[in-house]
Amino acid sequence: MALKVDYLVRETGQNLRRNITLTVAAVLTIAVSLFLVGSGLMIRQGVQNAFQRWEGGIEFIIFMNPDATEEQVQSIEDELGSNPQIKDYTFVDQEETYDEFVELFSDQPNMVESVEAEDLPPSFRVIPTNTDADFVSELGKNFEASAGVRRVIFAADSIKQVQRVGAWISTGVLVMAIVLLTAASLLILNTIRMAMFARRNEIEIMKLVGATNSYIRIPFILEGLVHGLVGMVIAASLLFGGRAVLSDRVLDLPILENFVVTVNETWVTVLVLLLVAIVVGTVGSAIAVSRFLDV
Amino acid sequence: MIKLENVSKIYKGDVSALLEASADIQKGEFVFLVGPSGSGKSTFLRLLTREEVPTRGKIFVAGKDIGDLSKWKIPFLRRNIGSVFQDFKLLPNKDVAENVAFALEVIGRPKHVVKTQVPAILELVGLSDKAQNMPNELSGGEQQRVSIARAFVNRPLILLADEPTGNLDPATSVGIMKLLDRINRTGTTVVMATHDRGIVDTMRRRVIELDRGKIVRDQARGVYE
Repeated sequence: MALKVDYLVRETGQNLRRNITLTVAAVLTIAVSLFLVGSGLMIRQGVQNAFQRWEGGIEFIIFMNPDATEEQVQSIEDELGSNPQIKDYTFVDQEETYDEFVELFSDQPNMVESVEAEDLPPSFRVIPTNTDADFVSELGKNFEASAGVRRVIFAADSIKQVQRVGAWISTGVLVMAIVLLTAASLLILNTIRMAMFARRNEIEIMKLVGATNSYIRIPFILEGLVHGLVGMVIAASLLFGGRAVLSDRVLDLPILENFVVTVNETWVTVLVLLLVAIVVGTVGSAIAVSRFLDV
Repeated sequence: MIKLENVSKIYKGDVSALLEASADIQKGEFVFLVGPSGSGKSTFLRLLTREEVPTRGKIFVAGKDIGDLSKWKIPFLRRNIGSVFQDFKLLPNKDVAENVAFALEVIGRPKHVVKTQVPAILELVGLSDKAQNMPNELSGGEQQRVSIARAFVNRPLILLADEPTGNLDPATSVGIMKLLDRINRTGTTVVMATHDRGIVDTMRRRVIELDRGKIVRDQARGVYE
């Protein structure tokens, strides 16, 4: 049986208006919890972006001159390959460096335009066998004097700390978000239950005259879905707004200079929120409907 | 049209609302269910709409065994059965026409059907001039007419009435009975549970008497007792 759109819009709208206080409570709870989910994900992304070059135990990076010859690069590579104190290394050529650069600064087209791949230094990212600071610095400095090498930079302790703190914060925020999302589901469940109670006479008559179960239930499930989606839109606006404000301020701090979350990454986060909102909205109302609305 | 074969309905704690009841009601019959309160009249009716499931025995409605009806088919069973109650069960925030239209809308009837059927049925029950009134502006008898209109607007095969005159004075009751009689003459099977001795004795229709869940009398052209 086809469900009529105007019927669904009218019934769902009526339900939402009738329980306006509970509706607002449910929507706000969802908005706040989804905002936290989004923030957690974005902090994680930001930390990852900021220290992308330092992932997986990389302790120092040897930057070559952009115009270093192939022989010079090859000799460094040979040296790295034959050194027993080096566990692993990767070579990042100019094209890859450029790709990373473009991704990182996708918000700033002027910056991207002003740079060409050949302006950027190719580099070796090195994972030594030992992470002891003295050992690493000794090892890294050996390369500084080699021909074609511009400079060697080390993963500072401060970077490692920020990475660790960032992980803590984003995990903490996500845990809080899960608690709040549970609360939001329960609020939706109760809101729908109130809506069904308010309409118990209509529901009784619907059953009496032979309305199908789905016809009776779908407006209530849609109500929960609307709670979720409105909350999601509020959370998404906060995330975009917050991102715009923070990217002006935070980037002045030197340690966070690459702490960037791109617009695209924000959209991906919002997409995750959309899925969570749909799940929370429909699960809450579906439970209410199946528990309190039997034939 | 309706057939019960040794139907028992036993609630928790061995309370039997219906015990080994058998009856065969033909299409177009008008049947009174009589008996004291708690004798099983309402249970009898609720079993027919599958609001209750029999503990034992078989029930056929329109030739179909409704005992093994799957859940999603129950609404379609109910579309063949109109129900009328003592307390009318009208929606207070909808006017007369909307109350009747509601029954068609929620089973997905198209708008043009609603537009033609609602005035036609209000004409039949004699409430054409009250279509825009709210239920609380109507007398008890008028409210019961609206509820009969709602039950019959979908032209069901069967009309079940549970004490439809229970809240009405005798004069108004006569009007309601005339209306049910007219509906019955269109070929609709009517089963009515009642305490109203006067009505049963004047109408002289088939009477099924229940006592403590048992059918103690099934009499054509019967009287109350």
